[in-house]
Amino acid sequence: MMKRILAVLVTLMLAGPVFAQGGPLRITITDGVIEPITFAVPSFEAETPAAQQAAADISRLVVQDLAGTGLFREVPATAFISQVSSFAQPVAFPDWRAINAQALIVGAVTVNGDQLTVKFRLYDVFSGQELGQGLQFAGTVAGWRRMGHKVADAVYSRITGEGGYFDSRVVFVSESGPKDNRQKRLAVMDFDGANVQFLTDSSNIVLAPRFSPNGDRVLYTSFESGFPRINVLNVANVGRQQLQTAPGEMAFSPRFSRDGRQVIYSLSNGGNTDIYRTDLSSGQHVRLTSAPSIETAPSLSPDGTQIVFESDRSGNQQLYIMSANGGEARRISFGQGRYGTPVWSPRGDLVAFTKQNAGRFHIGVMRTDGSEERLLTSSFLDEGPTWSPNGRVIMFSRETQGAGGTSSMYSVDISGRNLKAVPLQGGASDPSWGPLQP
Amino acid sequence: MATPGTIISGVGHVGLIGWLIVGWGLTSEPLEIQTFDVSVISGEEFEQMTARTTPEPGDADPTAPVPPVINDAPPPPPAQEEPTQTAPPPEPVEPPESEAPPPAPPPAPPETEVTDVPPVEPAPPVAPPPTPDVDVSETPTPPQAPTVASEINAPPPPDANIDDVVRDEVVPDDSAEAEVVEEEQEPTAPEETTTEIVIEDLAPSTSVRPSTRPSRPAPPVETASAQEEPAPAQAEPEASEEDVAAALEAALGATQEAPAVAAGPPMTDGERDSFRVAVNRCWNVDPGSVAARVTVEVGFSLDREGRVQGNEVRLLSSDGDQSATNTAFEAARRAILRCQSGGYQLPADKYDQWKDIVITFDPSGMRLR
Repeated sequence: MMKRILAVLVTLMLAGPVFAQGGPLRITITDGVIEPITFAVPSFEAETPAAQQAAADISRLVVQDLAGTGLFREVPATAFISQVSSFAQPVAFPDWRAINAQALIVGAVTVNGDQLTVKFRLYDVFSGQELGQGLQFAGTVAGWRRMGHKVADAVYSRITGEGGYFDSRVVFVSESGPKDNRQKRLAVMDFDGANVQFLTDSSNIVLAPRFSPNGDRVLYTSFESGFPRINVLNVANVGRQQLQTAPGEMAFSPRFSRDGRQVIYSLSNGGNTDIYRTDLSSGQHVRLTSAPSIETAPSLSPDGTQIVFESDRSGNQQLYIMSANGGEARRISFGQGRYGTPVWSPRGDLVAFTKQNAGRFHIGVMRTDGSEERLLTSSFLDEGPTWSPNGRVIMFSRETQGAGGTSSMYSVDISGRNLKAVPLQGGASDPSWGPLQP
Repeated sequence: MATPGTIISGVGHVGLIGWLIVGWGLTSEPLEIQTFDVSVISGEEFEQMTARTTPEPGDADPTAPVPPVINDAPPPPPAQEEPTQTAPPPEPVEPPESEAPPPAPPPAPPETEVTDVPPVEPAPPVAPPPTPDVDVSETPTPPQAPTVASEINAPPPPDANIDDVVRDEVVPDDSAEAEVVEEEQEPTAPEETTTEIVIEDLAPSTSVRPSTRPSRPAPPVETASAQEEPAPAQAEPEASEEDVAAALEAALGATQEAPAVAAGPPMTDGERDSFRVAVNRCWNVDPGSVAARVTVEVGFSLDREGRVQGNEVRLLSSDGDQSATNTAFEAARRAILRCQSGGYQLPADKYDQWKDIVITFDPSGMRLR
């Protein structure tokens, strides 16, 4: 009898808990950390003797691009436990885990004559898997920077899930000379300040250049005739074409439509400034606003259906949104101070702007309904925001105070982090970020 | 010498005593006195009475006072032994009594007689451990006597009337002569009583839970032995060494198989929080990204060292588009794999509680505002 009872008790003890609880352990996590993702880039393999320099340069450029976003942090080569001597060599993941490299980028470069080929693989170290497949780019040796940017864009895109912005160019106004006699000319550069090329000379004042959607042309305002006029410049051959306006009219603040066939801009006539749209092929004008106030700085939404612009119709500068064909506008900015130079984000969810309040200038963003306004910068003079192609970074002009003050360009992540100056020789202002290059 | 004070006091006392004697203004209702008729019985008669409260082995209906209650309450000694024999918890089918309510559903008869291993425990639980008791108590026992008295009265015969008057046991055959025969026409019996309040008895309906499993029944061996010796209800089926071993084996087998059910004590809030924090610190959220607007649910399994088995993390659900989901999932997977290093620190004795984990990564609180 006792044995039997014992058996029963043991049975219950062992089997009882089986019925205690079912299913997996469920956890909800709502708080994470905000820190850069660590990555390692062993110097790319030079598959031909002539590729030694290019391999080293491209490796460094990829590191610069990624680390420059503030979203990634390089694990220095001095920390490496194992080296990658061959592109085809299996990856010793434990060695990379040990140094806490979350992503590993291995690559190889080949140079044959003037032709340069770069290929790479991206690994998620902690899962021990390759992220995406190997990718290869081909170009000229002279274009090695673009090859490096392409690699960095692909890596960035695979890890963040968003498009990159490294292989893109920025048109801006290059400035030189003292403040009271400043020379200005148009220039383009890589997003990181490299490869600066001038598009105009400094004989005339030029303002507010804007890239076309595909980057082949630039709109800008010139004072060549003494009045502000809008020019269309072909980037490839630097050929120019002026937008026709009536005598006495002042045209400025232009932007391309999303298809690049039309221009929206401000036209000032008789002391009144309104927004117009002109078809570049036919030259036909359409007036979009009709108010006694100043309406200017129009920017189209990504889908081309709406325009955000600034107006002082309420008594001071505020932001408004109206249909792309004109009509009634609704005000979206209601904060203290004055708002200007709105630019619609490529993602379509935000509007960047310049805000002047209490003697300071700010670059900020708000949602298109005016909510969730966030100021990203603050200085003596920040203005003229422009979006990176992926809508993640804003570049703008910053001018320092005083007679000897200079103008330079800065970029900032839309989170407000990673504010940094664009490295350039001389002054620069009015940036306009072009699209990713094909 | 009587002072005026003495006189007043004396008059007062006399008056008070007189008033109490006369009782003006005092109502005196007679207290209710419960009276009982008492009869003297002989020792033999008493024996007969007590003998009827305990079913005799040969009785046709031995089931009456038996089962579960007696497990908990300490009833009179003689009755205690009997039930423990007839109702050992886990052997549900034991009493061969084909009588009234047989063990619930017909448990697949052909089944595992030989194996003894828990009939696969296929119908996974739902029911808590106490079920075995339910099975046992399932034999419908008449409710215990609700009345408490100084002595135990056996349950009255089914056709007897309850009567306060204790009449001589109307057992004509025992009494010698037949002069009182006419009494048989109206059999009466005292209401069933007991000497103690048995709380369980007051709510018998709650103690019998509807069993969710069709009988956890019939450890085949038991059934077989019961059939072989169907004899008296008290006959104790022998528990051999094999039986014990088989029961142990069955128990161990059950825990090992335990299909998708966790065993062991539940995780405490502290243990859960500790694990949550361990993953938290590796979950890198980019608040400016589109993925920061996506909540993903991922699942994975841990080995006993707290390491993700096969480094395999599965996406279970998401509320974002494909691209953002991929990014959010990669971030979640990276967090889980990166922070496991030597294995998550989880209580080893609760492995069954955390071997399978589902984590929801919800970045809504980290978005840019």
